[in-house]
Amino acid sequence: MGRFVPLILLAVAVGLYFLLPYNLAFLTRILIMVLLVLSLDLVLGYAGIATLGQAAMYGAGAYAAGLFAIHVWADPLAGLVAGAVAGAILALVSGLVILRAQGLTVIMLTIAVAQICAEIANRARDITGGADGLRGIRMDPVLGLFEFDFVGQVGYWYALIVVAVIFCFLMVLGRSSFGLSLRGIHESPARMGAIGVSVYWRRVAAYTIGGAIAGIAGALTAQITQLVSLETFAFVLSAEALIMLILGGTGRLYGAAIGTFVFMWAHHTAASNDPFNWLFVIGAMVLAVVFLLPKGLISMPAALTQIFKGGRDAGT
Amino acid sequence: MSLKQGAALALAIATCVTGAAWADTIKVGVIASFSGPFAQYGTQYRQAIEAYQAQHGKTAGEHEIEFIYKDVGGTNPDQARALAQELLIRDRVDYLAGFTFTPNALAVASMATQSETPTVIFNAATSAINKDSEFFLRTSYTLWQVSVPLAEWAYDQGIRTVATTVTDYGPGIDAENAFREAFEAKGGEVIDEIRMPLSTTDFTPFIQRVRDQKPDAVFAFLPGGPPTFTFTKTYNENGLKAEGIRFLGTAETEEVNLQGLGDAAIGLTTAYHYSGAHDSDANRAFLAKLNELDPKAIANWASVGAYDGVHLIYQMVAAAGSDGPAAVEAVKSLEWESPRGPLKMDPETRTVIQNVYIREVERNPDTNLLQNTEKGIIATVGDLGWDK
Amino acid sequence: MSLLLNIAVDGVAYGMILFMIAVGLSVTMGLMRVVNLAHGGFAMIGGALAHWLLQDLGFGFWLAVPLAVAGTVALALPLERLIYRRIYDFGELQQVLATIGLTFLMIASVNLWQGSSLLSIPLPSALSQPVDLGFRTLPFHRIFVIALGLAVIIGLWWLIDRTRFGIKLRAAVDNRATASSIGIDTGKIYMASFGIGAGLAAIGGIFGAELLPIDAYYPLRYMVLFLIVVAIGGMGSIPGSFAAALGIGLTETAARYLVPDIATIAFFALVIALLALRPQGLMGRA
Repeated sequence: MGRFVPLILLAVAVGLYFLLPYNLAFLTRILIMVLLVLSLDLVLGYAGIATLGQAAMYGAGAYAAGLFAIHVWADPLAGLVAGAVAGAILALVSGLVILRAQGLTVIMLTIAVAQICAEIANRARDITGGADGLRGIRMDPVLGLFEFDFVGQVGYWYALIVVAVIFCFLMVLGRSSFGLSLRGIHESPARMGAIGVSVYWRRVAAYTIGGAIAGIAGALTAQITQLVSLETFAFVLSAEALIMLILGGTGRLYGAAIGTFVFMWAHHTAASNDPFNWLFVIGAMVLAVVFLLPKGLISMPAALTQIFKGGRDAGT
Repeated sequence: MSLKQGAALALAIATCVTGAAWADTIKVGVIASFSGPFAQYGTQYRQAIEAYQAQHGKTAGEHEIEFIYKDVGGTNPDQARALAQELLIRDRVDYLAGFTFTPNALAVASMATQSETPTVIFNAATSAINKDSEFFLRTSYTLWQVSVPLAEWAYDQGIRTVATTVTDYGPGIDAENAFREAFEAKGGEVIDEIRMPLSTTDFTPFIQRVRDQKPDAVFAFLPGGPPTFTFTKTYNENGLKAEGIRFLGTAETEEVNLQGLGDAAIGLTTAYHYSGAHDSDANRAFLAKLNELDPKAIANWASVGAYDGVHLIYQMVAAAGSDGPAAVEAVKSLEWESPRGPLKMDPETRTVIQNVYIREVERNPDTNLLQNTEKGIIATVGDLGWDK
Repeated sequence: MSLLLNIAVDGVAYGMILFMIAVGLSVTMGLMRVVNLAHGGFAMIGGALAHWLLQDLGFGFWLAVPLAVAGTVALALPLERLIYRRIYDFGELQQVLATIGLTFLMIASVNLWQGSSLLSIPLPSALSQPVDLGFRTLPFHRIFVIALGLAVIIGLWWLIDRTRFGIKLRAAVDNRATASSIGIDTGKIYMASFGIGAGLAAIGGIFGAELLPIDAYYPLRYMVLFLIVVAIGGMGSIPGSFAAALGIGLTETAARYLVPDIATIAFFALVIALLALRPQGLMGRA
């Protein structure tokens, strides 16, 4: 049934455009976040690398795209490439060190990399604008035709198409021999090592591709907000991306999309109703998912089936 | 589609949906932090806004005024921009307000300009922000505005050598530059410029370094909340006062966390635009209303920034309704009596011209609480950082 | 010379605070194999309770502190029963999600209860007096914290090395299944250890509030800091946490004295170097 889910998601994304014409900026933020969480799904769900520092690549992509637009060329697609390259390079360089470790150590190393990036961006304030943010990003029209508009229509379609393309790319990647070997590594690194697969280098490759995608997400946010702040490197952003991924369910791509959508939607709705105490809702939702749907929201159909069949161990 | 067409379309859609029923209600969207590490600022804003409405009613001119609060979390320009757009297009607000952090304000500059929405900044204190949009008005202060008079006053008091200690980020550097420039222009000497990392939790090393150099005074600027609180405590507890190294600050003794500093804070000198102990009827009325609505509420710079911001919005609404350019024009040179003292808008910088007071922390014998007692006005200034 | 002494004194005091808060985290992560991101929340709850007892109810300091610690433990034990016990067998990611959710609830609760301003915990004058060390003065609070940290590590060593509880605890850590098969009630051991960890966090939160002030956002603000202590020390190792906390305290302090401009970068670069060389931490179990 998983085959149709991406198409349904695409239909939902198109439908939302017409249903919520006043919320396009918010919907665009969800799309960008979906992209970041997808990159995390490749890294964590496929390759099994636990990270709390995916924002490092996101931030690198955002600053790279912003600086590229200001100093080199304001073409959006070229900016995406700049973001991807920056994210990939940072992931490659840091991944060479990080991926030699395991478990909690990997998590801490990824956090440390993101913190260093944030501090470098803060200190290089002549280039990055420091805590005031990188200003003056003015993008050319997409493909020279579609100018970014006030309502965010162009921004929405632009982000949606980028997300859809990356989604397809990841689907193809997941079925390729590279993707299958990643899954093999995730399930049993020792076995894959024994049959002659270089576990380390495949992980580095996955981490680098994930970094490129996170970089593209960062580039998108730089182009649409026209400002990049130090918070693009924030620990909280990495942590939220992780929450969204686990919430949706790892290793399935559409789990990333669903988790992001549900989390951000719940946040948005709760914060609109009560800007002061919405955190209660998010906390309760997260806990409920852990206990009722341990495999994430994507396991909901299976869990419901179990309940209706009278299965008693729906949770295990 | 061009930007203008887009805006027109949005407006057209919005008009169809919301209809004319709201024509006499003017909505103000407040974008601020109501959750996360800086939730305190949002709380201060809301309390001040509610106090103003309780004092002056909910109508200005013929219009009812309604505030819509949106939580931006912290420094989050993406979220600020998305919220501004939602407020402008879906909620059809005519005014924007709030903005604690510079990047959040900068992110909505182009939207404010395109939609001609007057945007009142309650805090964000980087001078250059107002250059990004003709529709930005600011009722807080800028770092130059308080740091320069402080430096000049310090020199006049006979202080000749100063060590500056600032947090190593944009506003900190701003404050450091402002202080040094003014102090050296007078003939004083800055003997050490310490920049402390943003993540610092233990300030003892920096305080010790200052102590070893024995300057006449130490100038400090840190972001609000835990860093400011811990730094001031560390200064107090390491015997610098006993060695004759004076403390020169700005927001360090702000009222919300002042009681927590304890007796050691007595005698700390700061230059700032608002003290909760400001001796005027306007301030007493403001405080009384604030405490009537919430007995635990404490007024500080964030409260007064929001309070005066609301005043500005009321004046704009009364003068021009929802006509953005006319509204800004109407208050460009507005003068009024604020709880902090007399205020005047500067038509060029669109930031308030105000008194900067020299204050000392004392214990009020009546309430037994610590307060910033104003010892005098040291300057009446506009945004001194505008041309920097 | 006085520079070195300064670094030593300030670094050790800072390290002791980190140790007290993080040791409970290390125990729960090593013993129960739970990635407990909510641990800082117990430090915050301890601090918030102390603030409430002192400021709102007017208790004396030395009465309020034990009550606040006891209150934190009293909250932690049912939480262990209701939530943690159920996630021991979950995967790491589910544990991350569950404990983050719990952290959010803690933040929201304290925010609703006490607001979002800093919750001050005024020290009695005995603790806030400056003490003259000859080459400098030091608030007595720092000396007290150093002594308290030493008392905690000695107490823990005694508990684990010299008591029946300690024997059972070590058995449960080494092999849970075997331990329960020889009649050790691992459930109770876990609950007791969790309570001790939470109580220590509360003590650390209260006495550490001079450097890490308490407010509703505390658990997220300092989460990374506490995790670094555990990662460097090695999960489940009390001496490891001690060494790591002191090491981090000294390193950070030295960096601030010597190279303030690049202190943050230097600190994290050191963390990376150390973890790259010793992925299991200083004294971690492989």
